[in-house]
Amino acid sequence: MGVAMTIFLIAIGWTALLLGVCGWVTIRASSLTMRILGLETFTLILVALLVLFAHLRQQAFYLDAAFFLILLSFTGTLAAARYHGTWKVFS
Amino acid sequence: MSAAVTFWIASGLILLGMLIMSAAIYGMIRLPDLYTRLHAASKAAVLGVLPLLIAISMTGDPAIIFRAILIGFFLLFTTPVAAHAIAQAAYARGELMQTPGARDESGLGLATKPAPAGQASNPERSAERSKTEH
Repeated sequence: MGVAMTIFLIAIGWTALLLGVCGWVTIRASSLTMRILGLETFTLILVALLVLFAHLRQQAFYLDAAFFLILLSFTGTLAAARYHGTWKVFS
Repeated sequence: MSAAVTFWIASGLILLGMLIMSAAIYGMIRLPDLYTRLHAASKAAVLGVLPLLIAISMTGDPAIIFRAILIGFFLLFTTPVAAHAIAQAAYARGELMQTPGARDESGLGLATKPAPAGQASNPERSAERSKTEH
């Protein structure tokens, strides 16, 4: 196993660990707003994991998945935060 | 640029991204309230993903480079908006500021913990306030 593969495996393992910790923080959150923030961060770490996979496999479609995940996460966070704060999504 | 140099720069960027993202998660665990956690999560997580995108752009494949640039721009533009929406929701719901010495200038009384004894929450503001009061 080369140095490149070792670095990627360490990075992927570490990102997976961060994902687990972020999930734990989200589940144990004290408020709904904190859970929304936890989910947003969870998605960002998932995007990082997909970027690492794209680098490892040299395949662009992992980045397509990452892009659509960001798109969904942004829309979802915005809608959830607005609904939680003002009880309406559209002003 | 030789392949070896590119490889080491990409590896360094990946490790940098991991380090910054770890700081984001540490901040989410360690910081006392949502407003400060939001600061850690929104800034550090984006700054952690960007080095990874730069690293993947060094592969030279145009399809990957185009997508990485697209993701980078989209992250830079959407994450502050999402963070603002979350902070606004927290403020509207009366989420308390539990950082010692935090000040709620709106007067809603969301700041709960005073600054530790002998330490002003914001020395410059305290000095300004004492000037105007006297």
